[in-house]
Amino acid sequence: MNVLVLLAIILCLLMVLIGGKKGAKSFISLFLNFGVLWVIILEMTLPQANPNLLAIVAGVAISCINLFFINEVNSKTIAAFIATVITITILLFIIYTLTEKAMIQGFGGEEIDELIDVYSLHLGVDFIKIATAVIILSTIGAIIDVAISITSPMQEIFQRHPSINRKELFISGLTIGKDILGSNTNTLFFAFIGGYLALFLWFKDLSYSFSQIINSKIFSAEMITIFCAGIGIALVIPITSWISALYLVRGRDKI
Amino acid sequence: MIGKLKAMIDKHTIFYIIIGMCFIFSLFFVYNNHPFYEQPIAKVIETVVTETTETEDQYGNKDTLFVQEIVAEIKNGEEKGKHVHLVNEYSSSGAYDFEYKSGNELFIYTNKDGPSLAGDIIDVKRDKYIVIAMWIFIFSLLLVGRRQGFFAAISLAINMLLLSWALDIYVNTGLNLLWIIGITVVLFTVSSLLLVNGRNAKTYAAIITTVLGTFISMLITYLAIWATSGKGLYYEEMSFLTRPYQLVFLAGLFVGSLGAVMDVAISISSALYELYQRDHHISNNSLKESGLNIGKDIMGTMTNILFFAYISGSIPILIVYFKNASPLGYALSLNLSLEIARALSGGIGIVITIPIGIYTTIFLINRKREKL
Repeated sequence: MNVLVLLAIILCLLMVLIGGKKGAKSFISLFLNFGVLWVIILEMTLPQANPNLLAIVAGVAISCINLFFINEVNSKTIAAFIATVITITILLFIIYTLTEKAMIQGFGGEEIDELIDVYSLHLGVDFIKIATAVIILSTIGAIIDVAISITSPMQEIFQRHPSINRKELFISGLTIGKDILGSNTNTLFFAFIGGYLALFLWFKDLSYSFSQIINSKIFSAEMITIFCAGIGIALVIPITSWISALYLVRGRDKI
Repeated sequence: MIGKLKAMIDKHTIFYIIIGMCFIFSLFFVYNNHPFYEQPIAKVIETVVTETTETEDQYGNKDTLFVQEIVAEIKNGEEKGKHVHLVNEYSSSGAYDFEYKSGNELFIYTNKDGPSLAGDIIDVKRDKYIVIAMWIFIFSLLLVGRRQGFFAAISLAINMLLLSWALDIYVNTGLNLLWIIGITVVLFTVSSLLLVNGRNAKTYAAIITTVLGTFISMLITYLAIWATSGKGLYYEEMSFLTRPYQLVFLAGLFVGSLGAVMDVAISISSALYELYQRDHHISNNSLKESGLNIGKDIMGTMTNILFFAYISGSIPILIVYFKNASPLGYALSLNLSLEIARALSGGIGIVITIPIGIYTTIFLINRKREKL
C-alpha cells in the first residue's frame, strides 16, 4: 500500500474517533482545500492570469470551507470571514513589495540545477506574483485560525455581558489575540523550518558563510515568508477584534 | 505606589528607546555594510535594454527575453567608486533571472576588459530586505501583542539558534540525526512554552503532552512508512543532499508538526486548568468532555494550517512541470508526495495530542487534588 493512503486512513480514523461528526467534516475539508489549491494552480498556468487576484479568490474560497463548512454560518464565522479577507488583501501589498524588492521569486540555484536542463523556465507567467501568492496561501490557514479563535470567545463575552460597549469588546478581543499570537507564530515557524530542514543542512554541509546564507535567495525567501506570516497573524488580531465588535454591537443596536 | 508606577513607565520608556536604537542602528548598518563584504558589491546606476527577443517553446509558452546593459558603481574593496559595466539577461517571467533597476545592489566578480572595468553578476544583496521584514515583524508583534509579542519574537530567535546549533552538532559529529532532533524537540518545547506561557502547572502539563504527542505521532508515521516500505514517497526534491534522505525527511517531520502540537497541548491544558480553578470539585468526566469539545473545535483548523504551510510552497515548481506538459501523476508524486506526507503526519500529531493532553492534564489535576 502507498504511504500516503495509509497515513490518510489513519488520520481519518483518528479524526472520526476523537472528533465524531465534526472530525469527519475536518477530514473532508482537507480534500476540499486541496481541490481549491488545485484549481488555483491550474488557473495560474494561464498566461493572462493574475496570481495575486487568484490568491485572494483562493483565500475567499478557503475561508468559506474552513469557517462555514467546518463550523456553520453564524455571526462568529461571518465576522471571522470578513476579517480574514481584509487581512489577506492588506498583507498582499506588504508581501508583494518585499518580494519584488528582495527578488526572492522563482527558484534558487540549489533547487533547480537539474531542472534547468530538462525544462523550459521561460513560461510567460509572473513569478513575482506567484511568489506573493505562495506566501499568502502558506499563511492563510493560520490567519483563519486566529480569526475564529478571537470571534468565538468575543461572542461568548458579548452574550454574558450584553450591555458591553464597542470599545470594551474590542479590547477584550485584543487581549484574547495576544494570548494566541505566540503559539500561532510558533506553529507556522516550525512547519516552515520542518519543510526546509534539508536545505539548511545543505547550507551547513557546504559550509556557506553567514553572509552567503543571508543573501541567498532560498534563505531570504524562507525568512521573509516566516516574517510575513507573523505580520499576518499580528495584523488579523486587531482587524478581527474591530470587525467583530462592530458586528456584534451593531446587531444589538438594530434590535 | 506612585514610585512603582514611575519605575514602570521608566522601564517601558527605556525598553522602547533600546528597541528604537536597535532599529536605527541595524538599518544604518545594512545600508552601509559594504566594507564588511569581501565580494565586490556594485550599485546599479543606469540600465539600458539592448535586445528583446520573443520566444516560444515547444509547448506554446510565450515569453520575452531581454538583454540589459548596466552601469554600476562599486561600493567596496580596492575598486571602490569606480564604474563597472555589466550585462544581464532576463525574462519577463523571472523564474530564474531578474530585471535590475537603478538602486539595486549586486554581488559581482570584476575583470579588466580593456580600459574599462567589466564584471559578472553573481547574486543580489538581500540582507537589508531581511532586516526590514524582520523589523516590520517585530513592530507588529510588539504593537499588537506588547509583552506577549515580545516574548513570541524572543522565542522564535532562541528556536532558530537552537536549530542552527543542533544542525552544527550533526554535521560536525555525525551522530544520529533523529536522536539530535529528538533532544532538540524537547528543548524547543520547553523554551517556547515557558517563554510564551510562563512557569505554571498548565505549562508543565502542555510540555509533557507535547513531548508525548510528538513522539507518538512520529512513531505512527515511522511504522506507516515501515509497513508500506516507503512506497509512494519520492525523495527527488531532496536529491541535492549528500545525506540519507529518509532520515532528514523524518527529522523534518519531527520539527514540522511540533508547533501545531504545542498549540493544541496548551489550548487543552489551559482550558482544563481554568475549569478546575473555577470549580475544584469538577468531575473527571466533565473535564474530559470539555477537553474533547475543545479538541473537536481546533483539530480542523489546526490540520489546515499545516496543510497550507506545507503544500503552498510547491506551487511554483508545479507550475513549471505543468507548463512543460509533464504527466500529471509524475509531476504530483515528484513534487507533492513529501509535502502531503508531512501534512498528514502533522494532522495525526494534532489529533493524537487531544486525548493525550486531556489525560495528562487530568492526571496532574488529580495529583494536585490528592495533595490538598
